[in-house]
This record gives sequence, structure tokens and C-alpha cells, in this order.
Amino acid sequence: MNLFLNRVAGLGGAAWLCWLLALGAVALAFPGPERSGAFMACTLMQLLSAGLALLLLFNGLRAAGRRRFDSALLHLGCACVLAGWLAGQHAVRTATLDRPASGAMVMVDGDTSDKLWDGPYLTNFVGRVPFSVKLEKFFVERYERNALDRDAGRDAPVREYRSRVTIAEPGKPPYVANVRVNHPAYVRGFHIYQMSWGENADQFGRPVVYTVLQFIRDPGLPLVYAGFVVLFAGVLLFAARIFRAKTPHGEVPS
Amino acid sequence: MMVKMTLQGGLIYLTLVLFVATVAARRCGWRAVGRGFWGAGFAAAVASVVWRGLHTGHPPMQNLFEFFLCMAAALWPLSQWSRWKNGIDTDARDALLGALILFPAGFVFGEEVRRLPPALQSPLFVPHVASYVAGYVMLARAALMALPLMCAPGDAARVRQADVATRQTAAAGFVLLTLGLLLGSLWGKICWGHYWQWDPKEMWSLATWLMYGGYFHYRLKNGVRAPKTLAALLWLGLLFVVLTLTWINVSRLFAGMHNYA
Repeated sequence: MNLFLNRVAGLGGAAWLCWLLALGAVALAFPGPERSGAFMACTLMQLLSAGLALLLLFNGLRAAGRRRFDSALLHLGCACVLAGWLAGQHAVRTATLDRPASGAMVMVDGDTSDKLWDGPYLTNFVGRVPFSVKLEKFFVERYERNALDRDAGRDAPVREYRSRVTIAEPGKPPYVANVRVNHPAYVRGFHIYQMSWGENADQFGRPVVYTVLQFIRDPGLPLVYAGFVVLFAGVLLFAARIFRAKTPHGEVPS
Repeated sequence: MMVKMTLQGGLIYLTLVLFVATVAARRCGWRAVGRGFWGAGFAAAVASVVWRGLHTGHPPMQNLFEFFLCMAAALWPLSQWSRWKNGIDTDARDALLGALILFPAGFVFGEEVRRLPPALQSPLFVPHVASYVAGYVMLARAALMALPLMCAPGDAARVRQADVATRQTAAAGFVLLTLGLLLGSLWGKICWGHYWQWDPKEMWSLATWLMYGGYFHYRLKNGVRAPKTLAALLWLGLLFVVLTLTWINVSRLFAGMHNYA
């Protein structure tokens, strides 16, 4: 039994498990993000991931018992990230119309909404957020048009997309927020992202610019971030331990 | 294959010549001359990166061309680190590596300037890319330092020295790889909405990280009983680094959010 544990959960098995997982990661690089993401969301892969998280937890605790704290933090950090991801996936599975996990709003200036939509054309209703969002104005700012742009006969590239919204939470005075790329807003458990934009024609054929705001609720996120911190602390301790080894000094011919 | 008839191109070719001169000087046994060429090559590589930054108006880390320029400039300080830490003189090998890195920058990649799209305007842009620049350079150097493990597995003193040096270099690279992965993940959450997108580049980066994870587990379990295997694992890791850097970026097979080559 002891030998078995050493084989399966011990270091010999761990190296092979690392390589096996690397092989799996490479395999998942081929089908593309959507299909790989959907595959990893299936029950079997969730269960296997939970098993991996437990194995990491077991090894982390065992390393802590042997006072190998670098190894303990590394494995517990990985377990924590996996647990956070599984918690987020659980929120996606148990999402309801009252508590959606993610969805998008397509808005033109002046629109107010609390409804989220999903699907390739954002036509599936997925639920309501517990606050309302009014798009005051959507801005597209471009860089200055330079000689290269003029030669190519094109507009200058976009410098910034910004949706200025007014958010009304129940029991709170409404307030203004600016949602930009790399600057999401955070309201009642939802991160709000500037995801996309486009131009459409209204019923009279006039161009209308619309913005797409993405809403994501992920209750596992604190666990994931905590895992990142623990994991990185573990890697630092691990490297520090390896750096303590002394090299026999001397020249190696090159 | 194209030659760049610009100041940027001139700086790259100057660096390339100095790196090759370093290797040549060491081959002839002129140690001090080699060291001079190597330092001058570093100065030229830094000038190349600085000029690129001034010319484009943003940190030069946007595409593969700029990434490779940064890697060439990172080589010399990391090489000095090994000299200080392990007492190993890796000048010639690192200069050769620098020439290999700069070759595509000089003759393959275009130097077209693109202004930063909104997604790249983030305080995480520089730390995320810089971690990978330094991390990949360290891991490539670890593979090169593993040559004695492969060529002289019987020489116990050399094997022990090469084992410690490669392990420490790979550990430094592993720290940077982890940092780059975590910062990228954090940035992905802030920018795209998800810390993990199952993007091909992400998957290959994770696979690379796991390959080195396997190496460290193997080394802990088996020690230096099989130096050739250790060297092979480091070279296998480097293969993953090279694939992640080149094939995954350039190939249409791996369309994803990291396509910018």
C-alpha cells in the first residue's frame, strides 16, 4: 500500500502526471477556444478536475507535513485555482433567469436595460441583473490620422472604446460609470466589460452606432486570485531553495 | 528573407555582427576580445530596443519582432547572472543564442509600426511580456548549459556543475514563466472577462509550464542518476518554448486571441 501510494501520489507519478497534463493541454490547443472550453465544461472533465484538485490538496498537505513549505504552497495554490475555477463553472451550471452567470447587452445611446442575452447573435434571453443600466453615450476615439493611414486610404486605428453608463441599483442613488477596455465596472457581483461595438441602420436607413456590454458573475474569482498568490509564493520559495545549492566553481570549456 | 534598410535594421545587423564576432573571438581563444564584443553587442541590442520604443511611441513588446529584440537585449545581463551565481562562462553560447534570436528579427519579421489597440493599453502589458522575454531566455540558456550533461555523462565534476547551473537557471526561468502566466491570466480577466480562455497560446504556455514542472519532479525523484535524461527534458522544454513562440503565433491552425505575428 505504501509502495502504491509512493508510485501513484509520489514524485515518480507526479512527473508523469505533469507530462500527461501537458499533453492534454497541447491536445486542447487544436480544437480552438470555444470547443475546448465546452469540452472542459462537461461533467466528466469537471469531475477529473475535481480529482486533480484533491490530489494536489493531498500532496500539498503531505508536503506541509514534511515541512517542505515551497512544495506545499505550490500544490495548494494549484488546488485553490482549480477549486475557484470549478466554483465558477458551478455558478454557470446553476444560473437562473434571476441569477444569470453571464450575458451581454446591446445598446444604443439612451437605452436602459437589465436584460442579458447570449448566443452567437445575442438573441437568447438568459436573465436579468439586479440593477439597471442606461447607456448615456458610447464613444469611439481614434488615433490621429498619419501619413501611413492617408496612403492606405483608411481611418486611423481606434485608441479607445468607452461606454458611459448610469447604473441604478435598488436603494441607492444612480451613479455614472465609464466602461472601457481594460477598465471593467463592478456592480453587485457582476463585472461589466466593453466587449464589442458596431454600426447598424435604423428603420429609416440612418447609421446607428451600438455598443455591446458583457456581464460576468464569477463567485470563484477570489479563490482563483488567492490561488495565484499562494502559487507564486510557492514558486518563489522553491526557486530560493534551489538557489541555495552551491556550484562547484570552475571553468567549463565552451 | 528581406533586408531592412533602416536605422532599426542597421542596429539589428550591428548587434548580429558583434554577437557573431563574440563567438569567433572565443573560438580563437581571445577571451578579453570576446568579452568586449559581447558587451558591445549588448549595448547595440539595448540601443535597438530603445530606438524601437522611441520610434513606435510605446513599449516595444507588441509583436514577435519587438519580442525578439527584447530577448536579444535580455541575454547579456542574464549571462552575467550565471557568471556570478555559478561561476560559469557562457558568453560564447549566449552570443550564439543571441545571433539565432536576432536572425528572424533582422531578416524575417516586418518592422511595420502599429499603434497600441485598446486591449494592450494596460499596466500589465509590460510586466506580462517582460516576464516571458526573460523567462524564455533563461529556459533557452538552461538547455544550452545542459550540453555537458549530454556530452560528458561520465565526468562527475562537470555533471555536478552543469546540473546545479541548469537547475538554477531553469528555476529562474520557471519563476518568470509562472509570473508571466499569472499576470497574463489576471490581465485576461480584466480585459477579456475571463482569466482562462482556452486560447491555443494559453494552452501551449500551460503545457510548457507543465513540462518544466515534470522536469523538476523528475530531478527531485531521481537526482543526477540519469544526466542525459535531465538534458533531454530541458531540450524538450525548450522545444515547447520555441513552438509556443513561433508556430502557435504564426500558424492559422491556432487562431485565437493571441494572434499578432
